[in-house]
Amino acid sequence: MTDFFQYLINGVLVGLLYAMIALGFIVIYRAGRILNLAQGEVVVFGGFIVWTFIAGASLSLWIALPLSLLSVLVIGFLVERGIFRPMIGQSIFANVMITVGLMVLMRGVMLVIWGADAQSFPAIFSLKAIEIGPLSFTRSLFIGGIIALGVFAAIHWVFEKTRWGLRLTTVAEDHVVAQSMGISVKRSIAIAWAIGFVLSTLAAVTFLSGQSINFLVSEIGLRALPVALLAGLESIWGAALAGIIIGVGEAMAAAYLDEYTMGAMSEAFPFVIMLIILLVRPQGLFGWKIIERI
Amino acid sequence: MAILPCGVHSTTYSQDKAFIRTRAQWACLIGFLVLLFALPLFIGTRMLSILIVMAITVVAVVGLQITVGLTGQINLGQSAFMGMGAFTAASLSANFHLPFWLAIPAGGLGGALLGAIFGIPALRVKGFYLALTTIAAQILFPLLIMRLPSGWFGGANGMGLSPAKIGGFVFQTEKSLYYLIMGTTVIMIAFAFNLTRSRVGRALMAVRDNDIVSEIMGINLFTYKTLSFGIGSLFAGVAGGLWAYYIRYVMVDQFNLWFSVWYLGMIIVGGVGSIFGAILGTVFLRSLQELITIAGPLLTELFPQMGGGAVWFSGMNIILGAVIILFLIFEPRGLAHRWNVIKHSFRIWPYPYF
Repeated sequence: MTDFFQYLINGVLVGLLYAMIALGFIVIYRAGRILNLAQGEVVVFGGFIVWTFIAGASLSLWIALPLSLLSVLVIGFLVERGIFRPMIGQSIFANVMITVGLMVLMRGVMLVIWGADAQSFPAIFSLKAIEIGPLSFTRSLFIGGIIALGVFAAIHWVFEKTRWGLRLTTVAEDHVVAQSMGISVKRSIAIAWAIGFVLSTLAAVTFLSGQSINFLVSEIGLRALPVALLAGLESIWGAALAGIIIGVGEAMAAAYLDEYTMGAMSEAFPFVIMLIILLVRPQGLFGWKIIERI
Repeated sequence: MAILPCGVHSTTYSQDKAFIRTRAQWACLIGFLVLLFALPLFIGTRMLSILIVMAITVVAVVGLQITVGLTGQINLGQSAFMGMGAFTAASLSANFHLPFWLAIPAGGLGGALLGAIFGIPALRVKGFYLALTTIAAQILFPLLIMRLPSGWFGGANGMGLSPAKIGGFVFQTEKSLYYLIMGTTVIMIAFAFNLTRSRVGRALMAVRDNDIVSEIMGINLFTYKTLSFGIGSLFAGVAGGLWAYYIRYVMVDQFNLWFSVWYLGMIIVGGVGSIFGAILGTVFLRSLQELITIAGPLLTELFPQMGGGAVWFSGMNIILGAVIILFLIFEPRGLAHRWNVIKHSFRIWPYPYF
C-alpha cells in the first residue's frame, strides 16, 4: 500500500511539471490559435539560457534567473514579430507548419551554440530526498510541484482578475470582438508569446534542476502535448488536472503494467489517451469551443 | 489558369485532361526518361547512391503530397508509415522468403493499412488536431515495433534481409538497384499524376477545398479521407520497401519524426498541392542536404575556429527550419509556382502578362 501511495504522489508531482510545460502551449494557443509544436524546444532553449548564465558566466541563481527570464521574454517577442506576425490570417496548415519550421530551426540553433553533448544542469534545489513517514520524494520534484501550483494560481489570477490579463482573455475568446473593443490583438499575441517563453523557462528550471541538459530533452514537449489536449487547450486549471491525470496514469502504468509490456505502456500511455480524447471529445475536458466536426 | 502552348486547343474532354499535348513535350519526356536510365553509365557509385536515396524519398514525398496537398489532411507521420512498409517487406522477405516483387507491394499495403487506421480520426477532427493524431502514430510506431516479438520485426535490434533476386539475377550493385528503384519511382509518379485527373483525385481535391460542400455533392467523406491516407501511405510503404531492399537492414531509428518533418518541408518548398512540386522540393532539399554533407568537411578546413564538422552538420537543421519558414512567409505556393511563372512568361513572350 505504501508503494501505491508513493507511485501516486510521484505521479502527481511529475504530472504537475507536465502541466507547467503544457501551460506554455495553452497561453500561446489562447491568444493566437496557434498550436506551438516547438514547445519542447522552447523549454530546452530556456534551460540552456539559464545554464549559460549560471554555469557559463558563473552568476548566482538570483541574478541569473531574472536575467534569463528577461532574455527569453525578449526572444519570445522577437519570435512572434519575425515569424508569427506575418502568418496572421493564413491557413491552419501554414500555421502548423511554421511551428514545425520553428522547431527545426531552434533545434539547429541549439546544436550550433551549445553542441550535442549533454551538459549537467546546476542543482538549484538540493538533491536530498524529503521523507514523510514511510514515503520519500525527490526534493526538486516536490519543490517543482509547489512552484507549479504557485504559477498556476498566479496565471489564473492574472488572466481572470487583472484588467491587463482580462484583455488577453478577451482576445482568447474572439479576435473580432476584442479588436472592436479596442484591444490590440497583435500586441496581445506578442505578449502571449513572451509569457509562453517565460513559463517554459520556469518549467525548464524546475524540471532540469540537477539533471543533464541537451537538445534531446525537448521530447518533453511532445509528452506535454497530450496534457494540453486533455485539458482542452484553453483552460488554465484544467491543465493542472489533466497533468495530474496523465502523470498518475503514467506512474501507475510504469509500476503495474510495464513488466508485461517491456516498458512500453508508460511511454505509450499519454499518446493513447490523446488518441482517445481526439476521437471522443476533441475539445478536451475543459475546452471552450466545440471543435468543428465533419 | 494554365496557358497552353501556342496553337493547342481542346476539342474533346479527354484532350483537356491530357498532361502532354505537343510533340515537343513528348520528346522532352522521352528524352528525360532515356537520360534518367542512361545515367548510371556516366556517373560514379557515390552519385548513384545519392540519386537512389533521392528517388526513394520522392516516392514517400509524392505520397505525402496526395494526403497533404491534394486532400488537405495534415500528416506528420509519413516516416512511420514508410517504416511500416519497410518492416513489412523485410519481415515477409526474411521470414516467409517472399520474392521482392511481392514483398515491396506488400510493404506498400502494410503502410497503407497503418496510414488508413491513423487517418480515421480525420473524420472527426481536422486542422492541427489531425497533426496530433499523426504525431501519435509517429511516436507509437517505434514503441510497437520494438515491443512486438523480435521474430516478427526484429525488435530493437532491427532486421536484416537478403538482396532482391529475380531468376538468377541478384540486385546487389548500386547500378542494378538504381534501375530497380528508379523504375519503381517512375511508375509511382505516373500513378500519382494520373490520380490527380481521375474521379478519385478530383473527389480528394473537392474534400480539400470544402468538405461540407463535397459531402453535399455526394462524396462520402469517410471513404475519401481514409482513401487519401491509404493512398498516401501506400506510397510511403512502397518507399519503405525500396529502402529495405536498398539498405538491407531496417531499424526504427531510420523512421523517426524528423524524417516526417523533412518530408513536409520538401512539400512546402516544392509547392503544396502539386505532384510536380513534390518532386522539385525533394530534389531541391536533398541536394541541399548532400551539398552540406560534402561542403561541411571543406568548411571545417577553411574555418577551423568554427569547430568540427558536427557544427556544419547541425547547421543543416537551421537551413531546413529557415527554408520552411521563409517559404511559408514569402512563397507559400513553392517552387512549382515559380516554375509555372517562368513557363507562362516563356509562352506569352513578348507580352509581359495576359
